[in-house]
Amino acid sequence: MKSKKQLILPYYTVFLVCTLLIIGQAQAQSDNNGDRRITTSYYISNATVIPEPGKIHSHYDIIFKDGTISEIGKNLAIPKDAKEIKGESLFVYPGFIDLGNKSSVEVPVLPERPKDFDTSKPAPELAGIHPHFSTAKLYQFNEKIEEEWRKIGFTIAQKIPEGKGMLPGSTTLVVLGHEDNNNLLIDNQSQFFQFNTVGGVYPHTKLAVMAKWRDLFQNTLLYREHIANYAKNKRIGRVKIDPVLNALIPVTQNQVPLLVASKSELDIRRALKMQEENSFKLILLGVNEGAELIPVLNSKEVGIVLNLALPEDKFSDSLENDEQGKDYDARIERARKAFLEPLSLASKYEKAGIPFAFTSMDLEKKDFFSNLRLMVDNGLSKDAALAALTTNPAKLVGIEDISGSISPGKMANMVLMTDSLFSKEGKVSMVVSDGYLFDYADDISSEKLGTQVWTYAAETPVGQSKGTWEFIKKDDKWEGTVSYDSPKGTGTKKAKMENLELADDSLSFSFMVETNDTVLDVTVTGDINKNKFEGSMDIKGYNQFTVQATKKEKPNKDHE
Amino acid sequence: MNKKRLLLAGLLIWLSAQVYAQENHSGDLLIKNAQVITITNGSLENTDVLVKKGIITEIGTNLKASKNTKTVDASGQYLMPGIIDAHSHLALEVINEASSPITAEVQMRDVIDPFDISIYRALAGGTTISHAMHGSANVIGGQNVTLKHRYGTRDPNRLIMEEAPRTIKFALGENPTRVHGIGKNLQPRSRMGVEAVIRNGFEEALQYKAAWGKWNLEKQKKEINTAPPKYSSRLQTLVDILEGKIIIHCHSYRADEIYMLIQVCKEYGVDKIVFSHVNEGFKVAPELAKYTMGASVFSDWWAYKFEVYYSTAYNAAILTKNGVVTSINSDSDELIRHLYHEAAKTQRYGGLTDNEALALITINPAKQLGIDKYVGSIEVGKQADLVLFDNHPLSIYAIPQMTWVDGIKYFDRKSDQADQRIKINLKRSPDPFRLSTGSHDCMQDVDMSFTENYHN
Repeated sequence: MKSKKQLILPYYTVFLVCTLLIIGQAQAQSDNNGDRRITTSYYISNATVIPEPGKIHSHYDIIFKDGTISEIGKNLAIPKDAKEIKGESLFVYPGFIDLGNKSSVEVPVLPERPKDFDTSKPAPELAGIHPHFSTAKLYQFNEKIEEEWRKIGFTIAQKIPEGKGMLPGSTTLVVLGHEDNNNLLIDNQSQFFQFNTVGGVYPHTKLAVMAKWRDLFQNTLLYREHIANYAKNKRIGRVKIDPVLNALIPVTQNQVPLLVASKSELDIRRALKMQEENSFKLILLGVNEGAELIPVLNSKEVGIVLNLALPEDKFSDSLENDEQGKDYDARIERARKAFLEPLSLASKYEKAGIPFAFTSMDLEKKDFFSNLRLMVDNGLSKDAALAALTTNPAKLVGIEDISGSISPGKMANMVLMTDSLFSKEGKVSMVVSDGYLFDYADDISSEKLGTQVWTYAAETPVGQSKGTWEFIKKDDKWEGTVSYDSPKGTGTKKAKMENLELADDSLSFSFMVETNDTVLDVTVTGDINKNKFEGSMDIKGYNQFTVQATKKEKPNKDHE
Repeated sequence: MNKKRLLLAGLLIWLSAQVYAQENHSGDLLIKNAQVITITNGSLENTDVLVKKGIITEIGTNLKASKNTKTVDASGQYLMPGIIDAHSHLALEVINEASSPITAEVQMRDVIDPFDISIYRALAGGTTISHAMHGSANVIGGQNVTLKHRYGTRDPNRLIMEEAPRTIKFALGENPTRVHGIGKNLQPRSRMGVEAVIRNGFEEALQYKAAWGKWNLEKQKKEINTAPPKYSSRLQTLVDILEGKIIIHCHSYRADEIYMLIQVCKEYGVDKIVFSHVNEGFKVAPELAKYTMGASVFSDWWAYKFEVYYSTAYNAAILTKNGVVTSINSDSDELIRHLYHEAAKTQRYGGLTDNEALALITINPAKQLGIDKYVGSIEVGKQADLVLFDNHPLSIYAIPQMTWVDGIKYFDRKSDQADQRIKINLKRSPDPFRLSTGSHDCMQDVDMSFTENYHN
């Protein structure tokens, strides 16, 4: 993607852990679980390779060894010790990079409140001000948790601290590699900032967070001045070490960016105001509104991380007639339009030429691919979507030399999919992370289709009754909801299905409908023939009606 | 989506575009044949008011304007200056930073909420300026911000009246003693403690000022021999108060505490002070007249807690007759919609003249906010914040018809829509009918951990 301006390139002096050394150690250990690899050398043969956004190569081979990609091209000479991964029919993407991820980060242990605790003058740690806490120290790699991210294609994550207050600590970059390794990539990659507070102590609200930030910034500058003066003249008295100000020095020197959680339009404006008042490198994390701010952002040096979580459709439950009030239709339509806005936010950033990355901070993992498709359906180009998962975050956190694309010298982080990333059929078959191969092909075959949406129509004496049936498979068991026209008015209601039996060729369930004076017990039974359902709807004590239903092709696109 | 809905949605989008477009108007305006209530120069019959680029340029008869100037025929209607509310918490995301007895460093301009529908409702009640204040949980609260109701903007800064001087909230009596004394066992626990907190704050500020004065001299030397002092925006703000750069607006009820703060201010040479609420102000009216920038009162609100029992609806009239610059404020998103009713009550209780009564919600609050040079009356050279009523604004039948800020119309009763929101909050119920803007008061955002007794 062509961008009008550069992404922030953070300075990182901090250490790059050499994974090679650690692999060596891992092999020296006993191997009870059979995890030890026969070889650390692989090649993916004859695959469709998307080495970076905007490029695609058919029948390509990729060779990687000891965690690093060594060659990519057609008909490569295969090293003797390399294990083949059959790439035919697979699409290979660079491993995704997630910013603002909290999984496996422990909540820091804080000192106890003293007996005579004065809430107006808390120690910084008790006020949520501990930028000197390193997420690297609080991060415990947990394979069960991290595997959930890897399974959907993420191979590198920026871990953010768990604290509640305004400066909970520095962030760290990890590779979602093998659990036996130290997977730390960069420590103290940025300082995390949020407008939240621990509550009950100063600072308690956004008001004091803003004021406290101004004071901290000025005092960091004075602290630096003191250090510099003391270096020249020991008579002025030693600098008393202040861990909070110490941690903020690199921020005031434009070396370490401030990663500001700012989802709402007003929080984004507040973050921009902070940057106007005191210059520092700013990255906005978790943005999911504020298309109106694009012209403002376009004129600034700001890194943008958009939210992968999208709002839920809350419009299926309409109001009863007597509750609707004037202009109900117009108002509900405005609300619906507002709900659609976040879906096209990413495409608006793309059109304005502002590069952005993505964060999973509020995302439910099961929504990842469908949300990506929703954004693409709402105008985001596939290249920009892929860039937001690969090259852009790599640049934003300063690891573009080792990640973000598939090319020689970069870390062997790749996602192997059964189809294109943005097609409904695309499933993650394998993930290469830090040179390790994780095979998820079995998951695909056992997964089957996890959701179904049907639209139905029933002929009743008072006219046609329409609605939808939604089925979700949880732990191998189907659960369902039915929506129907409310008997009290024009709105739509939803009800949970009871006694649900869903098979390839038959369906039955029951549900309750509340009317003004009674509760109706409704049972639906019938046969399924491919995408068609025919059966009956039996209202207990009343009547029986015929029902017909059709299965929706793409259940996830009903947001449109 | 059916056709009817599409059509309605289209209409709505068009209408909201109209509202937003108002921002881009030039601020040129000609109002013809109005009964002009100038406040500072009596009432003028059948008079025209000409506005150019948001400023009143001419007041007279048979005024002409260029072709493109919007002309309003106001025959038989009453034009008065936009109403000013000297004590409000409108359009704020947060009201109280109740975590410390002194929070002079916090700034309400950091938490302006331009999406608050109450701004539009205030405009519909003719109010064009409100003083968005910190709450009353702390002895010295945050720095307030004076807002112009330029509703329709998404930019909080666009609402700020940049010409307005800095102001700060002080609070005496039960609220700060309850929050900090009873709630957290900190000073102040009594009215004596409130005074001590203010005095200690001022003393610390003087020390701070001295320390920085010394450091600034030291920095000019070739060899620096001392360490830099700590920066504190809290103490710096208190220094600014002592230097007369900030107007104090003090929440107060009882005569003794009002008199106390007058004494403390005299001692520290502070003369920029306005008292808010001031239910017992009538007892110290001469002192308020002599030593302060005035009192901002309720017309008839009292008895919601112990310290507000000794009250009278004659308060505003007594203060006015004693020469106190007096205003009537709302302290409420609801009351702000009909401050002209509140002002009218002083005619029933105290027999104020029309002009005296209307001054309570126009030029007087403007004086208290230090913006009377710009607004508060209809005069050539002032900003064209105007409101047009169908009847005399002190009549119970009066209904505001149009409201202008800087010569730009932000409210017109004829094109008022059912849904005037700028932004839809998706976190709430999707149905706007159920939305309320909520009410807030002086003690909003005071965490339960700060106080067990949660009152107004």
